[in-house]
Amino acid sequence: MRLETCWFCSSNIYPGRGVVFARNDGTVFRFCRSKCHNNFKMKRNPRKVKWTKAYRAAKGKDLTNDTTFELERKRNRPERYNRDVMQKTLKAMERITDIRNQRESRFIANRLKERKRQERKLARKQLDQEIHLVQSPAAAIASTSKEKLKTPVEKVRGRQKMQE
Amino acid sequence: MPVYNFKALPTVPSASDLLDVVLSKTQRQTPTVVRGKWQISRIRQFYMRKVKYTQQTFHDKLGKVLDSFPKLDDIHPFYSDLMNVLYDRDHYKLALGQIHTAVGLIDKIAKDYVRLLKYGDSLYRCKQLKKAALGRMCTLMKKQKASLVYLEQVRQHMSRLPSIDPNTRTLLVCGYPNVGKSSFMNTVTRADVEVEPYAFTTKSLYVGHMDFKYLRWQVIDTPGILDRPLETRNTIEMQSITALAHLRAVILYIVDISEQCGYTIAQQAALFHSIKPLFANKPLLVVCNKTDAQAMEDLPQKSKDLLEEMKKAADMNCAGLTASMVVDSSSADGGLVTMSTLKEDGVSDVKNKACEMLLMSRVDQKLKTRKTNDVLNRLHVALPSTGVRAPNIPKSVLANAKAGYPKSERKTEKDLQEENGGAGVYSMDVRKNYLLEKDEWKYDKIPEIFDGHNVADFVDPDIEERLAELEREEEAMLQEEENQMDEESEDDLTAEEKQTLKKIRAKKSKIIMDHRKKKQKGQGSAHIARKHDTERRLTSRRMRDELGEMGVDASAAIERNRGRSVTRRGKKRALEDDEDMEGRSKSRSKSRSAVLGRTHSSKSRSRSRGPSVAHSAEPGSGFKHSAQKMKAQILSDKMQRKMQKLARKGEGDRIIPNEMPKHLFSGKRGIGKTDRR
Repeated sequence: MRLETCWFCSSNIYPGRGVVFARNDGTVFRFCRSKCHNNFKMKRNPRKVKWTKAYRAAKGKDLTNDTTFELERKRNRPERYNRDVMQKTLKAMERITDIRNQRESRFIANRLKERKRQERKLARKQLDQEIHLVQSPAAAIASTSKEKLKTPVEKVRGRQKMQE
Repeated sequence: MPVYNFKALPTVPSASDLLDVVLSKTQRQTPTVVRGKWQISRIRQFYMRKVKYTQQTFHDKLGKVLDSFPKLDDIHPFYSDLMNVLYDRDHYKLALGQIHTAVGLIDKIAKDYVRLLKYGDSLYRCKQLKKAALGRMCTLMKKQKASLVYLEQVRQHMSRLPSIDPNTRTLLVCGYPNVGKSSFMNTVTRADVEVEPYAFTTKSLYVGHMDFKYLRWQVIDTPGILDRPLETRNTIEMQSITALAHLRAVILYIVDISEQCGYTIAQQAALFHSIKPLFANKPLLVVCNKTDAQAMEDLPQKSKDLLEEMKKAADMNCAGLTASMVVDSSSADGGLVTMSTLKEDGVSDVKNKACEMLLMSRVDQKLKTRKTNDVLNRLHVALPSTGVRAPNIPKSVLANAKAGYPKSERKTEKDLQEENGGAGVYSMDVRKNYLLEKDEWKYDKIPEIFDGHNVADFVDPDIEERLAELEREEEAMLQEEENQMDEESEDDLTAEEKQTLKKIRAKKSKIIMDHRKKKQKGQGSAHIARKHDTERRLTSRRMRDELGEMGVDASAAIERNRGRSVTRRGKKRALEDDEDMEGRSKSRSKSRSAVLGRTHSSKSRSRSRGPSVAHSAEPGSGFKHSAQKMKAQILSDKMQRKMQKLARKGEGDRIIPNEMPKHLFSGKRGIGKTDRR
């Protein structure tokens, strides 16, 4: 008994679930649900269907190369059972999956960073170059120059004194 | 070793056919359209291609003929002589030679004309050159008419020649006409040769096949030969002579002892002796035929003597070949055998004897060659060593077999089953046979799936080390990422900046929206001049608000604009104001003067005028003087008027809104008109 992966969406197939299609050339296709099976029957390429794991892997949206993947590998030559090893393995499995999940989420976060960086760059540029839409350059000049003209320095000082 | 099969010779076309074929092929396979406007190199190339193609086709067609016809010097002497007899060597060679020369000449013509075509300077000349080239080639071929016809006849005759293999085992039957050669052939083989009771029934060589000792033999029936000098022999006889001279076969000289053929035994003996040189180095058998009509014993002594003499000669002939054959022939009745083809008496004897003779002579000849030694050296016949080769059974096995095998003490699974309730109840314990390090592990419950993963995929004896390594790696990775985070300066926008950005974007999108709206409005309709700001957009209030938003104080501009309005009250106020604000900036005083000026003029005069055209003709605008310019302006206005009336953009706007009005293009019009339904 083992968990199989869906041919189309690469999700887990638990024993007793899904459908298996064996082609007459001996290739076995397993599907987790009728959605995947139907998509296969429609001859869709999982690499081109957005919701599949294959698409995400192909487009670099998910982590694909990692040491944690190497630790979980299907072996064609099974190891002889050993209780100690099994115990260690079960403990290690938890840790490995944990690390893997962390890495995956970190990968996605890193991937999204670039977009944010670009957005920020664009915002800076807009603030710099399109400010004239909301603030007239004339206003800035006028405001500074007028203030100078309006009240001579002495007057202001005098007024301040009065207030005091 | 060439195979002589003349049936597959390709047909030789007649001269006129050849011309037709070649010319039409040229026409079909080369481009046919040429234009005088083309570059001359292209035209030249067009005609050159035609000339070359014609030459190539001639070359191929005739080359095929030349290749397929056998060369008299290369083929077996039997065939070359036979063809000499049948078709005349000189004529044959001459015909082929002429064709060969013609091919060469055609090639030369093509070469010359292609060279000339390189200098052709117009389509016409090139065409004439091509025409001349093809014409010359055709004339040349027409001259080969006779040769081609001759070759075709030869081909037809050759295809009907018997396919004689000059090198296999062959029986050659010869003798006077009408002595029973063809009858012998018919009895021995399945060939159905015509047999008639007159001389020269057989006019050419015939081939039949038979089996002897599981080998295939060919029997050649020859036309009869007359006893006369070689030069006077006719073509039919010459075929026999050729076969006799060149085929390495056993020769059956058939003698008609009944003399029914019209020739006496003496004559037949004379012939035998005269053509004896042709029998040299060949096994020879004198066969006395028609014993049914004339028994051998009843022959007169004279004839017997003659036959005896012939037999002796035959023996002599054979003696030269092999020693073994002499012994063989002397044991039987030698080179003289009798048969009756009519009653089929002794025919098979004759056949067997002849075949034996030939086989022996061929074997002898082969043994004489150098090759035999090589073959013998390589041969080795292996023999098994002598002694007893009995089966070998080990002693222990024999002892065990005698004593009987001991019964096993082991408890089998079947025993267990019987003890524990029998078949169907007992289920076998598989786990007890597990080969594990410790026996107590045998009955462990082994998890297969854990947290959405297959446990078997993770099982690894050195999992701990690998996990430790992974942990180290993870730590290093986290450290590195932290460093990067530090390096990355926090460049986020402040709240104020964000606010401004929001405003900028809103404004921008509004501008775009407005633009689109405006664009949409004018689409597809003639431009209609706006009367005057129908939407009341260009108001001073708006200006004040909008500019105020942008941080510009527009009150001064508004003030200036207001100053122009002509109301009595306004004027008064303006006057008062002016008096109040004496000594202000110059612009102000100017506006005041304008206002003041108005007070002195009559109100009937229109105050404002539409935009006027500049009267002066600028240098470079193409007008002599201002009057001319005015005139042009008036004319262009006139032109515009019509366009505007039709709501056209300009002269280029010739759009037809509905090219096919439905009412004009649908409905019945069998008899009536298109526009009536």
